[in-house]
Parts: sequence; structure tokens; C-alpha cells
Amino acid sequence: MSGMTRRDVLGHAARGTVLAGLGGMCGFLAVKARGTDAWQLDPGKCVNSRLGALGVDVCESCASECVLGLSAVRAVNELSQCGRCYVCPAYYDVTSAVGPDGLPSEKLCPRDAIERYPIGWADPDDPANNYYEYVIDETLCNGCGRCVMACKEPYGLGSIRLEVRHDLCLDCNRCAISTACPEDAYERLPVS
Amino acid sequence: MGAEAEYREARSVSGRGAGPDRFEHALRGVAVDTQGHLYLAGDSEVKVFDAEGEMRHRWFTSRPVYAVAVDGEDVWVGEEGQVEVYEVGGTRLDEWRDGERLGLVTAIGFTAAGVLLADARARCIRHYDLEGGWLNDVGERHRKGGFHIPNGVVDFAVDADGVVHVANPGLHRVERYTAAGELLGRFGRFDGRDPEGFPGCCNPTNVALASGGRVVVTEKGGPRVKVYDAEGRLEAVVAAGDAFDPACKNMDVAVDPDDRIVVADPVRLQARLFERVGVAA
Repeated sequence: MSGMTRRDVLGHAARGTVLAGLGGMCGFLAVKARGTDAWQLDPGKCVNSRLGALGVDVCESCASECVLGLSAVRAVNELSQCGRCYVCPAYYDVTSAVGPDGLPSEKLCPRDAIERYPIGWADPDDPANNYYEYVIDETLCNGCGRCVMACKEPYGLGSIRLEVRHDLCLDCNRCAISTACPEDAYERLPVS
Repeated sequence: MGAEAEYREARSVSGRGAGPDRFEHALRGVAVDTQGHLYLAGDSEVKVFDAEGEMRHRWFTSRPVYAVAVDGEDVWVGEEGQVEVYEVGGTRLDEWRDGERLGLVTAIGFTAAGVLLADARARCIRHYDLEGGWLNDVGERHRKGGFHIPNGVVDFAVDADGVVHVANPGLHRVERYTAAGELLGRFGRFDGRDPEGFPGCCNPTNVALASGGRVVVTEKGGPRVKVYDAEGRLEAVVAAGDAFDPACKNMDVAVDPDDRIVVADPVRLQARLFERVGVAA
């Protein structure tokens, strides 16, 4: 994707945002049609995103417990809060060996669901001196939360969080994720 | 890396609490004068400690403080939208405001003929003459439009020749500039394994200068203090691992006249002094 222009990236991000918004709206309307409550994830309770929960293992219950083949929980990168770093700890496994390009040799996401684009023209002689866009492909993400944990303060800016995709959620009366969640972060709350 | 210098924590000053020599919420800045007095800036207050760790002065500032520096008898304090100048006893001598140029002042330094103020909002360093007249910016010509600081702080130190050493964490570098803004050089690279490199998304966050042109840096996301020689080669890992709470971030750092490294611990709200004890083979 090195040939992408800023316009391409912004257009890509805008289309993604619109689609995500439409999906969310459809899900929201579906929830409204069925009832007034919906399963929601509280990022302030989730151990993957809760500030101060450091040095703990990532919790992958959202990925492993959902009855769907691909969990209804997905990671979302709030682009307005993203640092657009050259070395993103949510994209790269920053503890992996450095490759010949000076970057970590391994990615963090086990499903390769995050795409990385340089914003504008990247100087081939100094690629670190550029901003990068990180876009999560929701068709690949299974909500494992590894990127969320890696982006959390103080490692990153905490721009990534897990969200329930209401257009995908089956709205089970007894949600398997909620039952398994060790932090009681997965709650059934009124849709206001 | 060949022989590695070894350091030990000699002592600490202040801490979290409600007492007059303590900070309740934040410790953001540390400076040392030529007599070894420590100036700690946190909450909306400056506290001055002598070389034995006894508090000698304290005073309140008009706004929360983000940086402190000492120039002879004057104590400069960086805040949101302004800097204030005090005499050591706490009497306010002056304040500088410059509209949008001083968004959030997170570091202060001096040359023979000027004052340098880091503006974390604009991600650059403002260069003024001694009367407060703006001269130029440092770092604004950077390809990224300024220093890349996802950590939210611009930090720098000025050496005896007036060269400005700046932490540029998003690029994993320490950069050297003239006060006029000309880039002179840099060192640093990303590496999450080799301690000679800078790990994570954005390190180092803070920088100070020691004797012999050595450069002291602090890191976040696995808090660590390191010393590099004047050529940018790692000389020592001063403290790392369990020495700090993992939430430590943007640890301001200074060097006292005995070359001890003073780190502002933002979790314990302490100044922690590390001294060199030898060289390991």
C-alpha cells in the first residue's frame, strides 16, 4: 500500500466509518425493535482496556466464548485518539526481533486484522519520519483484545477498545461471554 | 556494549501525601542547581530541598506546574499558557505569556542569550531572547510538523555550548539542534529487545545531560533510565524492571553537580537519586 495517497487513506477510513456506522445503526434499530436492553462492554471494567491493569495477561473471553463462529465483539480504533505511530504496539509485536528494515519482525494480531498505511508520502530513506494509519478489518477481527491491551496507557494512547457489534450479536438471554467475563464487564444495559 | 557502568539508588526525596514536603496528586518536573538543591514541581507547587533532603522552601504557583528549571537565582516554572519566574524563596518576579505560542510548557532551558520553552501543544520549542521577545522555533520544520510526542510531553536539555538535545519519542531518537533550529545530529533506533534501542511506540520521553557529554534518558511502557555516551552508545541501564511501577510515564530527569541522576517518579511522587558505583566487566 505504499502508493496510497492521503486522500486514499482518508477515503478508506471515511468509507469504513460510514459502513461501521450503518452497521451499528442497523444493529441499534434491531435491538430497539426487540427490546430496550442490549449486551454492552464496559471498557472501564474490561481488563484489556482498564487503566492501571498492567502486567496482566490479555483476556480473550470475548473471542473464545461467543456462540458465533466469529465473535460479535470487535476491536475499534478511535482514529481521532490514535498516535499514528511508526511503531504501533498494537500492530507489531514490539518484543519480537528487529528485522532488516528496523521494524519488529512479527505482528501482534493473530488474524492479521490490522492494516497499516503511511499517510502521505513516506520518505524511503527515513520511513520513521512519517505518520501511519492503522485500520482494523472487522471481517477478520475476532475481538481477542490483544491490540487493546497493547495500546493501553502507558504503552500507547488507548485508542483501541472492544465493542459489541449489535448487528451481529444474537442478543442471547444468557450470553456466554457475559458468563465467562472475569471482570463483569459484559453487561446488559438499557439502550437509551 | 562493552563495560557497563553500574548505578544504585542512593536515596529519595518527598513522596505521595498531604504533608508540606509531599505531593498529593502529581510530580511532573525536577531540576537541580549548582549547590545540589532539588527543585520539585508538582500539583500547583514548587518545593526546594537541600542536598541532605530537607525541605527549605515551598510556594504555590498560579496554575498546575508541568516543568521547572533554575537559572542562577531564578526559578522558572512551566504551566499551561505561561511561565512564571520566582526567586528561590518563592517571590514571584515575572510571568511570560505569548498567546498561542505557549500552549503547554513542559520543559525549560537556557542559552547564554536566550530562553527555550517547550510547547507540547505545538510540539516544538520556542526560543526567546532574555526580554521575552520571540526569536524562532526549534523542531517546527520537522517533517511531522513538530516532534512526534504521543506521550504528550516535549522534553529537552541544553549543553554548555548551547546545543539543544531533544527527545523525539515517536521517532525513537534524541536529536540535537542549534537554538536557531538547525538539526545537528541524532542518535537512537527502535528495539524492543536490545537495551541500546528505544522500545515501544515512543521512547525516550525525557532527557538530561551529565558530565562528558553523556545523555541520560527515561522511558515509559517498561519504565527505564539509561545513560548514553556522547556518541550515542549505551553506557548503562541505571534502573529498570521492578525499580518502577509499570504505570510510570514521562519521568522528568536531571543531573546534580555530583553527576547523580535525579528521576521524578510520577507514581511514588518522589525524586529518586541514582549514583554510579562502579563499572561491571
